[in-house]
Amino acid sequence: MQRQQVQPPGEAGVIILGGGVIGLSLALALAEAGLRPLLIEARSFGGAVTAGSLAGIGVHMHGMAEFHLMTEACRLWRDLAAKVGNPFEYNPQGQIGFILDQEGMESGEAWVAEESALGAPCRLLTPAQLREIEPGLTGPVLGATWAPDSATVNPFFAARTLLRLAREAGALAFEHCPAAALLSQGGRITGVRLANGQEIRADHTILAAGPWSQEIAAPAGVMVPLRPRQAQCLVGLRQPPGTIRHVVSAVERRGGVDAGYTQIQQSVNGQILFNTVITPVDSGAAGRDRINEVPASFVTSSIDMLVRLFPALADLVLLRSWVRFEAVSPDARFMAGRLAPEGLWICAGDNGSGYCRALMLGRYLAGEISGNSRAGLAPDLVAQARALYAPARFSQQAA
Amino acid sequence: MSEPQTHFRTDEGAVAQILDCDIAIVGAGPAGLAAGEAAAGTGARVILLDTFAAPGGQYSMQPTQGDSPFTDTPAVRLAREATARLAARGVQILTRAEVFHAAKRQDGSFRLAVSQQGAARVIRAGAVIAATGAMERPLPFPGWTLPGVIGAGAAQRLLKTGTGSLGPQGKTVLAGSGPFLFAVAQTFAKAGAPLDHLVEMRRPGVREALGLFLAHPSRLPEALRLMADLKASRARRHSGHMVTRALGTTCLEAVEIAPLGPDGQPGMAAARVLDGVGTLAIGYGFQPVVDLTTQLGADHGHDPALGGFYCQTGADGGTSLAGLYAAGETCGLGGANPARLSGRIAGLSAARGLGFAAAPDETAIKALRRARDFAARLAALWPAPQRLPLSLPPDELICRCEDVRVTDIRAAIQDGAREAMAVKLWTRAGMGPCQGRICGAGLSAVLEEAGVTAIAAGYNRAHLPLRPTPIGIVRAAMASGEWDI
Repeated sequence: MQRQQVQPPGEAGVIILGGGVIGLSLALALAEAGLRPLLIEARSFGGAVTAGSLAGIGVHMHGMAEFHLMTEACRLWRDLAAKVGNPFEYNPQGQIGFILDQEGMESGEAWVAEESALGAPCRLLTPAQLREIEPGLTGPVLGATWAPDSATVNPFFAARTLLRLAREAGALAFEHCPAAALLSQGGRITGVRLANGQEIRADHTILAAGPWSQEIAAPAGVMVPLRPRQAQCLVGLRQPPGTIRHVVSAVERRGGVDAGYTQIQQSVNGQILFNTVITPVDSGAAGRDRINEVPASFVTSSIDMLVRLFPALADLVLLRSWVRFEAVSPDARFMAGRLAPEGLWICAGDNGSGYCRALMLGRYLAGEISGNSRAGLAPDLVAQARALYAPARFSQQAA
Repeated sequence: MSEPQTHFRTDEGAVAQILDCDIAIVGAGPAGLAAGEAAAGTGARVILLDTFAAPGGQYSMQPTQGDSPFTDTPAVRLAREATARLAARGVQILTRAEVFHAAKRQDGSFRLAVSQQGAARVIRAGAVIAATGAMERPLPFPGWTLPGVIGAGAAQRLLKTGTGSLGPQGKTVLAGSGPFLFAVAQTFAKAGAPLDHLVEMRRPGVREALGLFLAHPSRLPEALRLMADLKASRARRHSGHMVTRALGTTCLEAVEIAPLGPDGQPGMAAARVLDGVGTLAIGYGFQPVVDLTTQLGADHGHDPALGGFYCQTGADGGTSLAGLYAAGETCGLGGANPARLSGRIAGLSAARGLGFAAAPDETAIKALRRARDFAARLAALWPAPQRLPLSLPPDELICRCEDVRVTDIRAAIQDGAREAMAVKLWTRAGMGPCQGRICGAGLSAVLEEAGVTAIAAGYNRAHLPLRPTPIGIVRAAMASGEWDI
């Protein structure tokens, strides 16, 4: 369904496949680096995984290995909001990690100790201190971690802003423009063929299609070890401002997201977003394309946790629910960098927290692709990113 | 990896009542009632649900007072008698009941989660008939959010039930497009409520009317009655006109109307103002309610003559999803006659599908074709406007829940939002309590204006909850163990 007045050109500097927050961030960074990016999106910009994001921006509980990269990622969001007048509801509301048991307390203490040693402003709260910061949270908690610098953005508006800025910087972007196949010549990826048959050539092609990246790459013999994981959220009717003042999340156990998680927050329009996952739903690849209903056990555990923490919300009215599919890599970290065939790159594997990393990864790859260090991250961060995100850490080439 | 978080139970006392049946029918208007009678007649156990306090739907809306002038109208009697017969047959009728979630299990059976007056129920059914009816298709125009401006369907409901009153002070204007306006005018006449002006976009010519009734002579008496009642109402009829503005400061005070030119646009030079107006009941048609059928994943088509997106059904009333049937306005607007017939057909088919002896009613199938033909001819005489009837000022509200204006929607489209879902994400239009029921048609119309067809714009598939529902009720239903595939 190609409805643009102007067709994509036959040639571009870099082709980005996927118009979610990652692809849009890449488009912006590459355009600013003068690399003539062309972004193509199968459906609507930011309409899939990005639209289902809670768009948390923070370093808290993301692990020490990525701490400095995450700090930079957060700074980029903060600076962007300041630079363009914050059209995407950047809100440095802070994040609470509630603690329900002794084991959680140990996790919380460990997170706070490690992060504050690296200079983060996080600390532990007693139940009394917590009540001052989040008065509605009257449930039986032993305490909480507190990361005052964590923020959120409106995931839809931020995607829209990135698209606008990328276009203003010279990027081309087309929606409802699905790719059919990667083009290759002499073992090198030389561009893409669109579903409508048009071929576009480029020196570099980046897979930024989240859980769909694999199916674009596979016909070219490139295996991308990403699996889709279902995530979901419930939304309650608008409540008075300040009903929930901060992002409220469970202190993450060392098992990461797969050990279960909770996130509760109030959006700028007053609606209450809440989810508690006890056991992640492992969905087959087909699940990405047929959006399921939220699982019944997820609904009950989410409601139970919300009401346990915020008893005053027991009469909340449920307004909607959604399901999305995150792309998860074997070690739950992004794949960002070169793939084996020359000319092919990837930036995917959000593991459920791609929003925060998007601008940072865009910068990183702009530097890597252009070879221009001024377009990219600072040298020490580049070294860390290479070590952490290199796709070569998995064997991605098919036999 | 540590152990998962404990599974808390906030309200263990709240459990959903489980109800078993062969066939669950959602909606007790003419289609649902006919489906219920047909299905129950085969021996199938039937549960019939409706949102309102009594079966009947919009067409046979039951009055709340005994001395209502509507108590003995044929439509009201029809539903009352059908309800009595259903009750005598043991059909379980749940009123004030809203289905907020539905699923089909791998064994082929269905589950419906129902909120009924503060209680949760889960219905187990072998088959489901969606007879969910239609809802108004409000199209925005300048001033459409002023208090005193209501939907024509809502006005009719108020008059029929006698539960509310139209604005006491001021004149009443009925406006819009389509034959439904005559039915509303008739309701005004029957209720003894004054109707001062009827503003209709199109008045078919004598030749067109003749063509219609030559093809369907049996429909002539009903049409003549409608015309006689319209005349009796003594409303001033402004044919070929449309409302171009609702005027007022804090509430409706006046209505501006203008004649439509050959290009279909209002000629503002000839616009005039109807003063002293207290109520403007305005209707640009209806749209099928397809939340249940979209949630369950049945195939839907789009046809402006059928009210937009509708649930596709075969001749037996079956949808693309085995065991799910649809009847009445859900399968495309057509009015009470196609509703009754398609309800009967779907009721028999659903029973037959479950092994009950129920031969297809060939007469009903034939009659449905004729009734659909009449509806299609009516729709052709009064095509529902797909675009905004007139250009809106940029600051006109489209989504009242989230305060989204025309200019916001146009800007989002300009920025690259080229489907209804994308516009919703980028503007929040349709994310509020009404979930797009009020602003959806307006949003589609602005997309049309930008060259995005309704089909390309798409529909938002419904998900849990189909209606806003208290979390305690949601929890009780979802904790029932009935949802594990």
